[in-house]
Amino acid sequence: MNMQTKPPRTAAEQALLDSYAEMVGQLPGDARVTVARDRLLSAIAEKGLPTKRIESWHYTDLRAVLRAVPVKAGGSARAAEPLVRDALVCPVVQGQALMPRVPEGVELSPFMELLVSGEAAPLLSSRGADDLVGELNGAFVSDGYRLAIEAGRELDEILELQSVQAGGQAHTRFLAEIGAGAKATVVERHLGETSNAGLSSSVSTLDLGEGAEVTWILVQGAGEADQHLGQTIARLAAGATLKLFVINAGGKLVRREVHVDVAGEGAHFDLRCVNLLAGDSHTDVTMTLGHMVPETTSSEIVRNVVLDRARGVFQGQIRVAQVAQKTDAKMSCNTLLLSDEGEFAAKPELEIFADDVVCGHGATVIDINADHLFYLMARGVSEKTARALLVNGFVDELIDELEDEALVEPLRSLIEQWLVDHG
Amino acid sequence: MPAVQETIDQVRQIDVDQYKYGFETVIESDTAPKGLTEDTIRLISAKKNEPDWMLEWRLDAFQRWLQMEEPSWARVDYPKIDFQDIHYYSAPKSTVGPKSLDEVDPELLRVYEKLGIPLREQEILAGVQTSKIAVDAVFDSVSVVTTFKKELAQAGVIFMSISEAMREHPDLVRKYLGTVVPVTDNYYATLNAAVFTDGSFVYVPKGVRCPMELSTYFRINEKNTGQFERTLIIAEEGAYVSYLEGCTAPQRDENQLHAAVVELIAMDDAEIKYSTVQNWYPGDKDGKGGIYNFVTKRGDCRGDRSKISWTQVETGSAITWKYPSCILRGDDSRGEFYSIAVSNGYQQIDSGTKMIHLGKNTSSRIISKGISAGHSSNTYRGQVSAHRKATNARNFTQCDSLLIGNDCGAHTVPYIEAKNSTAQFEHEATTSKISEDQLFYCLARGIPEEEAIALIVNGFVKEVIQELPMEFAVEAQKLIGISLEGSVG
Repeated sequence: MNMQTKPPRTAAEQALLDSYAEMVGQLPGDARVTVARDRLLSAIAEKGLPTKRIESWHYTDLRAVLRAVPVKAGGSARAAEPLVRDALVCPVVQGQALMPRVPEGVELSPFMELLVSGEAAPLLSSRGADDLVGELNGAFVSDGYRLAIEAGRELDEILELQSVQAGGQAHTRFLAEIGAGAKATVVERHLGETSNAGLSSSVSTLDLGEGAEVTWILVQGAGEADQHLGQTIARLAAGATLKLFVINAGGKLVRREVHVDVAGEGAHFDLRCVNLLAGDSHTDVTMTLGHMVPETTSSEIVRNVVLDRARGVFQGQIRVAQVAQKTDAKMSCNTLLLSDEGEFAAKPELEIFADDVVCGHGATVIDINADHLFYLMARGVSEKTARALLVNGFVDELIDELEDEALVEPLRSLIEQWLVDHG
Repeated sequence: MPAVQETIDQVRQIDVDQYKYGFETVIESDTAPKGLTEDTIRLISAKKNEPDWMLEWRLDAFQRWLQMEEPSWARVDYPKIDFQDIHYYSAPKSTVGPKSLDEVDPELLRVYEKLGIPLREQEILAGVQTSKIAVDAVFDSVSVVTTFKKELAQAGVIFMSISEAMREHPDLVRKYLGTVVPVTDNYYATLNAAVFTDGSFVYVPKGVRCPMELSTYFRINEKNTGQFERTLIIAEEGAYVSYLEGCTAPQRDENQLHAAVVELIAMDDAEIKYSTVQNWYPGDKDGKGGIYNFVTKRGDCRGDRSKISWTQVETGSAITWKYPSCILRGDDSRGEFYSIAVSNGYQQIDSGTKMIHLGKNTSSRIISKGISAGHSSNTYRGQVSAHRKATNARNFTQCDSLLIGNDCGAHTVPYIEAKNSTAQFEHEATTSKISEDQLFYCLARGIPEEEAIALIVNGFVKEVIQELPMEFAVEAQKLIGISLEGSVG
């Protein structure tokens, strides 16, 4: 069989390699970290950016769509007000962590310290051949936070890990260790301040101890020219509960990966994801979820609103290991495709090796229901308002589930604002 | 609830001893030497007295095939195939084509008898069977006999082997061959284009409703033979045809390759119903032997208001790689896919469909039922896509998987792609085991467990079975029974 010849490097591929050469001298880390970085970069150089021939990148041909971005920022970024009033902001501005004070029971340190001490070296690894996000971030990461919440601590205060950027490149990492029985709500926000084209990558690793309960709200509000490659990796010990709430409302090219191992009996994982897509953006949410042990549950609901020429992707893969009897996993992905020029592709996968399980997934793609529209318009509501109401109702259902008013209000107004801006 | 231990044990015991079609028939045959070169192709073409353009077409395909790589994306795992270790042509020996059944090798007829193929028209006419089916039987590489030709000709329907069609209706073959599955569509389709040896050809003229079911039986007999058949069905404006396909192979230790291509073309208001009961030899209890089934089946709803419906019951083959698809090109056209895939032992199935919505107001429906037992792996892989101009495209997909035992896997990989706001797609998939409640309900009414499971499995696949023509429905139900014997009775 003829071997496929390796295609020539694209401008973006070359630019990535060049920017590594440019930055490597200033990137923090001891010798071990540098070795790890070099190894990850050679992996990227060797494989090139993933194309649609790589199954997990089927709908995001990164090689074709990623654009070169200079290392240096185009403007000056500043930390934003917290999403939830009175939340404690832990900002990372243009890839540099600025240490705030932290409440009792919480340890916070800049990720840079782990790089400098070399402790972070084992973390700078690849999850597999298709892990471009992890490799890119591992090679370039400059800072972020390590956050540890002590066992049994119930945090009243909401923490906000905030990464702000004004063009250029920023590569951050958050490491969260939630002790057994601890309870916390964390907001992770990625913001792009200007319309300068920026490239950012971020990897968040969440380690939940036994019985820990975490609500993690991830708001991606990159600028409309920004490219954001993000990864959330979570591991749940027995009896732990993670509610991951993702809102994508920005960015030109966004890849959000969520990789979860439900690794302890009785653990539960929830994903709620709202994708608000407009303009010429391309947004890809890719989840892999492993039920590794018996008696675990999960539920995922993804709602997408597609306007203009936007393209959206949801790939969700649920794996049930042979020992994971009594798994209960449900996944659904619903899309409101409101534009004839927009696109949405869904690939909900089930991979099941245990027989005593209840697993299901559903996916729909529809336009606004004409009957619902008529109902509202017959009551004197203008078409525009009626449509806005219906779209709002479509995503609001997920927000409602959060119950905590302090969270519901700001998220609701974020969505309403987006609909006003793009309606 | 976990599968009852007894059930699991019984499933485990199922061996291919159950494979009742696993007999081998000793028939003198004319076999090409092993290996694939241009000469092999010239030989096949010469043996079949093909026109020059056909040879050119084959050679072109072969050149392209040499440039291609074997696909690796499917969830199937098998040792690399040595394409030079296969006979690409094997024909039961005969100097002239048989004029009537009496001239056919009696050994061959006995094979078909064992298979239960209603070859003998007189029997059928004598009323042994209530409905008439015209049969084209393909043995190893060549079509042996086609029945009811005369009666079909009266209706204007052409039903013959494709090599015959190439000689008698070259213009029709040339016009349509490769227009649905292009030569370079995929690795196996390209291989097929280069080396296909026979298959069926059906042409139903404008406004004709084919007066009987058409049927083809494929059987691989010769050792180390690849079977590469090619089927082409054309339904002209307003025509209707129902076509059945059955497959068997003898038990052998080596793996045998089957790489077929099926092309369906439906013009305005035409309807094609294509049903398959695939029961190739699945290999023994250790996963040794069995057929590698790499098939490309595609229907083109070329005309407005046309309809193509695929129904398949897959119980055989060591490896199945098969995605009968519909290209919904005509406005208001409709595609359907009904499938039951049963895997046991070490079988691996990666099968599903593609519904490509191109025309306006097109609709499609997918019902897929997978049953996995033993150490098997059963994957549904399907694609539904609506293109920019496919306004009001509609799809409904349901894939359900049932797991029996704890060593098997069931997977679902749908690709749903909408590029049009008026598209309406609904997809649902479930994986479960036999419900405890249903089982309890039956047991509480004095139905023995085995029977109860059989009842529940039958209910599980009913939606698909009822899409099959009567004769096939009975056979399919029996086959599923044999495949899962011990757990479904």
